[in-house]
Amino acid sequence: MIRRRLSESQFGWLLNLPALLGIFLLIGYPITYSLWISFHRYNLKRPRLFQFIWFHNYLTILTSQEFWSSLWVTMVFTALGVVVIIILGILIALLLNEPFPGRGLVRTMVLVPWAIPPVVNGLMWQWLYDAKVGALNGLLVSVGLLTSYRGWLSDPSGALFALITAHVWNAVPFAVILLLAALQTIPGELYDAARVDGSDGWHLFLHVTFPWLAQPLLIVLILQTILAIRVFDIIYVLTAGGPGTATTTLTWQTYLTTFDSLDFGLGNAYAYIVGFITMGLALLYFRLLYSRGEFEL
Amino acid sequence: MRRTGLLLLTSFMPEQEALSVPPHWLPDHATLGNYLTFFTPSGTRSIVGRRAAENTLPGIRNSVVAACGTAALNLMLGTLAAYAFARLRFPGRRSLMFLHLGSRMVPGIALIVPLYLLIHHLGLLDNLLALVITYLTFTLPFTIWVLKSYFQAIPRDLEEAALIDGCTWLRMVVRVLLPAAAPGLVAAAMFAFMTAWNDYLFAVILTSSMAAKTAPVVVAGFATDVTTERTLMAAGGVLAVVPPLLLAFLFQRFIVQGLAAGAVKG
Repeated sequence: MIRRRLSESQFGWLLNLPALLGIFLLIGYPITYSLWISFHRYNLKRPRLFQFIWFHNYLTILTSQEFWSSLWVTMVFTALGVVVIIILGILIALLLNEPFPGRGLVRTMVLVPWAIPPVVNGLMWQWLYDAKVGALNGLLVSVGLLTSYRGWLSDPSGALFALITAHVWNAVPFAVILLLAALQTIPGELYDAARVDGSDGWHLFLHVTFPWLAQPLLIVLILQTILAIRVFDIIYVLTAGGPGTATTTLTWQTYLTTFDSLDFGLGNAYAYIVGFITMGLALLYFRLLYSRGEFEL
Repeated sequence: MRRTGLLLLTSFMPEQEALSVPPHWLPDHATLGNYLTFFTPSGTRSIVGRRAAENTLPGIRNSVVAACGTAALNLMLGTLAAYAFARLRFPGRRSLMFLHLGSRMVPGIALIVPLYLLIHHLGLLDNLLALVITYLTFTLPFTIWVLKSYFQAIPRDLEEAALIDGCTWLRMVVRVLLPAAAPGLVAAAMFAFMTAWNDYLFAVILTSSMAAKTAPVVVAGFATDVTTERTLMAAGGVLAVVPPLLLAFLFQRFIVQGLAAGAVKG
């Protein structure tokens, strides 16, 4: 009924309208405001020195030591985290795709880490890793892998790995859910046909499953990368960027600049740089995976 | 799953045991005391964690309301928009999608201050509605994007057949499209729910009283400057996880091959 009165493009925009209103009415102002601020010198400790300074903030950041070191930390964290998440995600999703008794329960169990708010997650891991009473130490000592209790979080690379572990644990269920939903929509006949042609396990995966998974996998990749770059809650609780700057990611650095040093101009510039890096990565993924299938944004 | 097990076991321990070295895995003196504290907070033995204990159940209630609201709105608004992206051609399609995803690239930290001012201006501070619309802005773009992909995977013949048989567009969507896209819808709804459930940064800044404080804010409050009641926190953590798990258990069966395959074959 409605369709005959509106053209396709009008209908398209009409359908989008509620969502657009919901999003941009609220977030449009903060985004433009913070972009505007990033072009100014604005430090809350000296609020009257508010002036427009073009890209000066961005230059300051790009030539500062903190930026490059936090960029490195972020890259290591994101790369390791996302790789592990994707591998685990695919494996677990494949497993949960097969029917077996109690599957419903296992699927729910898998979601537990995701259901725990990152803050609670962080507090829990903080306790696990505690040098004096932590359970991780207790476990390793009782198994004999360690002779005495270690301070996991006070060691730079240890702290980074601890952070990665906490994040991966929290984020894998989300990847599993998306991949599982995708696996469930693959028509069974494709597998039957392939089996008739003589394919076995690995080949089935490569030629039937993987092409269907390619697009959801891209989505998972992008979402997980964005999530990893934006990790904040667990850093806040577990390491506060330390020891030293071993776990200071770009997002943490943004937080420090904005709320600790109270330099809003610089802080917002950091945020936008992070935004551009994230966008750049997303575009990179699209390019790299483009040949695997038809992708449209 | 060791870590979850640990959380669960700790919640049944009295405080002294939890801090013992070497750690006790199984409580020697298992107690429900920690859980009871939440239900009778004024009778609690713990002075320091008391306010947090009082607030745990209301906090969880707030979280449930906020997260369900976010998920519901996401599904409603997102399905419409995703359908448009998946099936219709309209000018500015690609730029709009770029805009949606681009809005999510900026870290929340930069947006928090202007957002706070805006919400204050609207008089919505310390209000669950403010949380819901805030969560909507960061979950909706992803929901649309994810749903678009799942809609595209459904063959058009299905819809066309329904339309030829005389269905109105709306009826076709409800009877044919949505059931076929059920796994994707469930995944999207879960994502929206969990994002809203897990958020700490926006919740802590936009709320100030129990009228709107959500579970993460309350549970984090257990770790006060004076002391941290590990066992109370563990119990609180367990309670905080129960609602999403319950929902997940109820809905995970919709991510089932039966529904999707049936629709495609039929």
